[in-house]
Amino acid sequence: MARDTVVKASKGVRHRGALAVFLLPFGVLFVLFYLVPVLYAIYQSLLTVEREGTFGPAVQVFGGLTQYIAVFQNGPFWESIGRVLLFGVVQVPIMLGVALVLALLLDSPLIRGSKFFRLAFFAPYAVPSVIAAIMWGFLYSPNLSPFTAVTSNIDLLSADAVLWSIANVVTWVYVGYNMLIIYSALLSIPQEIYEAARIDGAGQLRIAWSIKIPLVVPALVLTGIFSIIGTLQLLTEPQVFQSFSNAVTSTFTPNLTIYSTASVPNISLAAAMSVVLALTTFALSFTVLKFTQRRTAE
Amino acid sequence: MAISRVARVGAIAAISALALTACSTGGTDAPGASGDCAPSDGPVTLTFTSWLPGVEEAVAIWNEENPDIQVEVQTGPNGNGGTYQNFFNQLAAGNAPDLGQIEFDAMPNFRVQDGLENIAACEGILEAEDQFVGWTWSQVTFGEENAVYAIPQDTGPMAMFYRADLFEAAGIPVPTTWEEYEAAAAQIREQGGYINNFSQSDINAFAGLVWQAGGEWFSNDADGWTVDMTGAETTQVAEYWQGLIDNDLVAVYPPWTDEWNAAYNSSELWTWVSAVWGANTIASGAPDTAGNWAVAPMPQWEAGASAAGNWGGSTTAVLKGSDHPYEAAQFALWLNTDADALTAMNRTANIYPATIAGAQLPVFGEGVEFYGGQKIYEVFAEAGNNVDPNFTWGPTMTQVYNDVADGFSGAVSGNGTLLDALTAGQDATIAALKAASIPVKE
Repeated sequence: MARDTVVKASKGVRHRGALAVFLLPFGVLFVLFYLVPVLYAIYQSLLTVEREGTFGPAVQVFGGLTQYIAVFQNGPFWESIGRVLLFGVVQVPIMLGVALVLALLLDSPLIRGSKFFRLAFFAPYAVPSVIAAIMWGFLYSPNLSPFTAVTSNIDLLSADAVLWSIANVVTWVYVGYNMLIIYSALLSIPQEIYEAARIDGAGQLRIAWSIKIPLVVPALVLTGIFSIIGTLQLLTEPQVFQSFSNAVTSTFTPNLTIYSTASVPNISLAAAMSVVLALTTFALSFTVLKFTQRRTAE
Repeated sequence: MAISRVARVGAIAAISALALTACSTGGTDAPGASGDCAPSDGPVTLTFTSWLPGVEEAVAIWNEENPDIQVEVQTGPNGNGGTYQNFFNQLAAGNAPDLGQIEFDAMPNFRVQDGLENIAACEGILEAEDQFVGWTWSQVTFGEENAVYAIPQDTGPMAMFYRADLFEAAGIPVPTTWEEYEAAAAQIREQGGYINNFSQSDINAFAGLVWQAGGEWFSNDADGWTVDMTGAETTQVAEYWQGLIDNDLVAVYPPWTDEWNAAYNSSELWTWVSAVWGANTIASGAPDTAGNWAVAPMPQWEAGASAAGNWGGSTTAVLKGSDHPYEAAQFALWLNTDADALTAMNRTANIYPATIAGAQLPVFGEGVEFYGGQKIYEVFAEAGNNVDPNFTWGPTMTQVYNDVADGFSGAVSGNGTLLDALTAGQDATIAALKAASIPVKE
């Protein structure tokens, strides 16, 4: 063991130059476009503005946690977080459930043309989300939709319905993407296990329930966490829907709230909101991860 | 090893360069301080950001005549749609364009954010005051002596576009007061149409209606700002439209959507109380109704009165940090006073000039085919003369529009009233001003 470590370490030293060459492009871009903006946002969130008189020039000064206190007192921001959490609680399980069923169907030997369906289910993900939102916006419109019989009777863009109309768009776009991740997890299951199950007399349904699903749980956890992050960061779809519906306000989702705060312009408050949102997302993903890991371990 | 050291040094250099640019928020030197606005030596290239369709045509005329002062046009989305946010970011980064299009309602915001050069000292600028419609000049000077922060470009005097054919066929007289307008709304509703659409997100249009009624949301003096979005006039306007919404006498389509255009194109909507530039909006959004429209003055609160509101209108401002304020000011003045430039901008973007002479251009004396050959600009010229010159915009209008629109969107779906939305909007505005440490009087 000890010798192993030594050898590894010395190897590392010998290849340090090569390592740097390979890491450099990633490292530089990572620092420039990830770390620096994050640090700059944190720095901005600690500033506050002072000015004298009606048109006095603004001076940015260190404000400590002033902006964070303002974030916690900001009703619309927390309402928007509540809204996307409700969205996530309903939409994520539905989307992952559908993705799992589709992946199992593709993996099942009973289905013909699985190559075609794999591509067909995945195709919506290749549609840019702005285009997808515009397309669905027209489909929902009371008078412009090809399905006016439905849309003129049920207002899918009303204040009560619009959140779920957006959930449908998000599901449509991302179901294929999640399906593909689950499907590739299914492909990596060794054939011997199936063979053993068949010898034991298990049918396709039984194999799916007792072997496939338990073995793709890690993929489900991964897609689940991606979906939680995606939900908290919803921006494109609601922003596009603002031009179809009266009901999507400028504080509909946390990111829209941050966007409209930044355009006041109140950059420091927007930065503080971004930091709080990032921490909330992190805490939530971490909790889900811990929770599911414990469940899997049991 | 050698590579990694180079890489480390390189990375540190890159970060510190970035950190330095991030820290140097805007220049501290202010070349616009009164008294120094000297021409630059040698040829100059200016950058100009605008969202006016076809503004390049007018700029091409300038570039042809001024080989030493070339202007490059950058186009973007309309102000509140993203260009203002870009300007604020560019100002913070110290690389704003020399010139930018800024609407009247956003001027105080840019002033408060210290984004405007005072070009009063530049040659010919102060003297240009007489060329402009009175109220537009006070919007760009903020009523200060020796201060000019932008050159007015166009205005948006309001009037009523209406379907002359439908009114005549139904035997409904064209309303001249808001009372008659409501009566007409009921009759039109019986025919299955709507008199108008309450556009919940067009808060600046609502402000135009308040402006007509004599209300004012903001005022300021040396000590700070006063916010009054629930005054008597605003309440009157809000309750009037609330009544129309409650009685299903106006439609509530989201404005500027295809759904909204379709409602005009299919003759469901009979009138639009809008600004002069709206002439273009209807013509492009409802092509099937060509020839059936006409324009009349806005309905009045008092019979026989002739008050008008204003909705929109832009300026050309020299943004803070411009290296060539003199040349930029000359271009801004030319763009908005030269007959050829104004004609070109009217042809491509239907703008209605802010200059007194501009309104006399031949193009504004012609009948417009879409409006049955009516000389519609005469109505708007009259309205422009009846706009109250003392209307002040607040320093955070983007926020005001967002917050009030959020409330209005609740009101049109039966959740609260317009007045509730304005009350909440006022609270949010005061909070936003305080957050920006802008003095507010309560």
